[in-house]
Amino acid sequence: MDGLKKRLSTSVQYRLSFALTATIIAVAVVAGVFSFLSAFDEAHDLQDDMLHQIASLVDQQRLTWAPGADAPRTEDADDDTTITIQVLGARGNFAGKMHGRGALPLPDALEDGLHTLTIADESYRVLVKTIATGTRIAVSQETDARDEMAYNSAWRTLLPFLILVPVLLLIISQLVRKMFRPITDLSRQIDARAESSLEPIHDGHLPTEVRPFVLAINRLLVRVAESVNVQRRFVADAAHELRSPLTALSLQAQRMEHLEMSSAARERLRILQKGIERGRNLLNQLLSLSKVQAATEMPGAPVLVRGIYRAVLEDLMPMAKAKRIDLGVVEGPDTTVCATELDLFTLVKNLVDNAIRYTPDGGRVDLATHVAGAIVVVQVSDTGPGIPPQERERVFDPFYRVLGNDALGSGLGLAIVKTIAHRMGAQVTLDNTDPSTQTGLTVTVCIPTSHSS
Amino acid sequence: MIGEAVQDALKEAAYAVDWVSDGLAALSATDTQRYDLILLDLGLPGKDGQDVLRAIRAHGNPVPLVILTARDALGDRLRGLDGGADDYLVKPFEMDELLARMRAVLRRKEGNAAPVLGNGVLTLDPETREAAVGDCSPVRLTGREFALLRALLARPGAILSRADLEDRIYGWGEEVESNAIEYIIHALRKKLGNDVIENVRGLGWMVSKSG
Repeated sequence: MDGLKKRLSTSVQYRLSFALTATIIAVAVVAGVFSFLSAFDEAHDLQDDMLHQIASLVDQQRLTWAPGADAPRTEDADDDTTITIQVLGARGNFAGKMHGRGALPLPDALEDGLHTLTIADESYRVLVKTIATGTRIAVSQETDARDEMAYNSAWRTLLPFLILVPVLLLIISQLVRKMFRPITDLSRQIDARAESSLEPIHDGHLPTEVRPFVLAINRLLVRVAESVNVQRRFVADAAHELRSPLTALSLQAQRMEHLEMSSAARERLRILQKGIERGRNLLNQLLSLSKVQAATEMPGAPVLVRGIYRAVLEDLMPMAKAKRIDLGVVEGPDTTVCATELDLFTLVKNLVDNAIRYTPDGGRVDLATHVAGAIVVVQVSDTGPGIPPQERERVFDPFYRVLGNDALGSGLGLAIVKTIAHRMGAQVTLDNTDPSTQTGLTVTVCIPTSHSS
Repeated sequence: MIGEAVQDALKEAAYAVDWVSDGLAALSATDTQRYDLILLDLGLPGKDGQDVLRAIRAHGNPVPLVILTARDALGDRLRGLDGGADDYLVKPFEMDELLARMRAVLRRKEGNAAPVLGNGVLTLDPETREAAVGDCSPVRLTGREFALLRALLARPGAILSRADLEDRIYGWGEEVESNAIEYIIHALRKKLGNDVIENVRGLGWMVSKSG
């Protein structure tokens, strides 16, 4: 009940349906009661008129019978509608005439006109009239029968209402739902949007009443897009601005290397340079992330996966060599993927970079690719410690690092991978390379060959 | 901060350096002095770096010019190069790379763009077809060995597949024997040492960028 109340107070559709339904029912009830009562009265009046007409027929001698004989009965097939005509004032005849449903024991003193009398527990409507011959006659009819006829005709006037009301209710609920369809459709559309899509809502097929609202939302979207852009620009600008001092720092550190210094100082310098290197890496990743987040261009030509692998390996071979990691490509079909070259390169490079970073010295990193139906699978496996299952969701968050890992990652690699994969409509899954020992990380990116979104 | 570090490093590398820190001063300096090379940071106070570049070129000054910048968007790079810069270096950079690029730009300006190939450890002289590792004495290479090593050294760090190398070594219509590439590489390793040419599993071979 509370749910209904809440929906009533919040949903225009419900309120409209409810108000219309209530109004129709109220009007139907009032009109029904009124027409029932008036039809009831009308039927009674009609029957009174009938008594009058019968009396005047008798008056005009059209209906004749010998006074003193049994009163004639106009009989319909239905016994209830029996109308009795009798002569008043012939007291002596009464006893003899009381049989069956013949003459009624009416008091003589009845005045001319209509009366409702109760005789022998039955209610009667009696018309007393003095006819031309001076005889007073009484035309009578049972009230029950009259009432029944009146009820019948009154109910018949109600029948159209009883049919009309449910039909109207049905039509109204359908109509209201139909009128609100564009709005529910729109809200479903907006719900299905990606969080980064801020283009204006198309208002072509919407009712004019809702259009100002949609326009207002569109204006808001424009402002949001602007502020998101400002934010992104700020991140990019900040990272760019940080590059200069960082460069100065690293140049000075490099120059320091050439100076004479104690081995302790040299060790400190090495740590310092490692820190600078880390800062530089973080900056580059930050820029990379803001770049892939801001990019909107859609892939044009198909890109050769092996070509991308080669470019990535050319970049990362020195890093792998420094850790004596066996970095290579596993034999497989050369496939193409619909993506921008930079996107696929950044994605693979981040995966391989991570793999090298988190794999201990002397390990192995494999790049593989295969085709499964309409999906191209790009896979990077390493022999590192792997990622525990409970962490596999969170590692895609920016700056999240698996605890107990001292490798110098930026914490942005997988966030970048996720952003790019999302844009390509690709799925990224993490598994152990060696399930029996629960070690090693295998990242599988499933890229649909026909991109649609 | 960068200016200071670069200035000191350049002095150590035996260059004579004038350092100005705003765009207007840079323009007046280039007007009055003749320089062999200009390093231009695009994020200058006073006058935008791109404007300085345009002004220098508008005066018909052909001085070799290398841009240093924090901006690495393709548009920025193209604007710099199309605006008349000879090279473009994005921060953060290593001093060694800056020096190498300066040398390359100077060399190009002197019309001598095809010098001895090398990666810092290995050198290859196209004139004599001799290769040398470090300070060891040069070794003479056969035609195919030379062609293969030249292909790899054209861009140290690049990975070349078997097909790439075959294209470089054999002309059209020449019969390519199977294992020929492995055989040549084996011979080169024998002459120059095992580490000179590296295998990249699944892709091909490379000569590393820095020895």
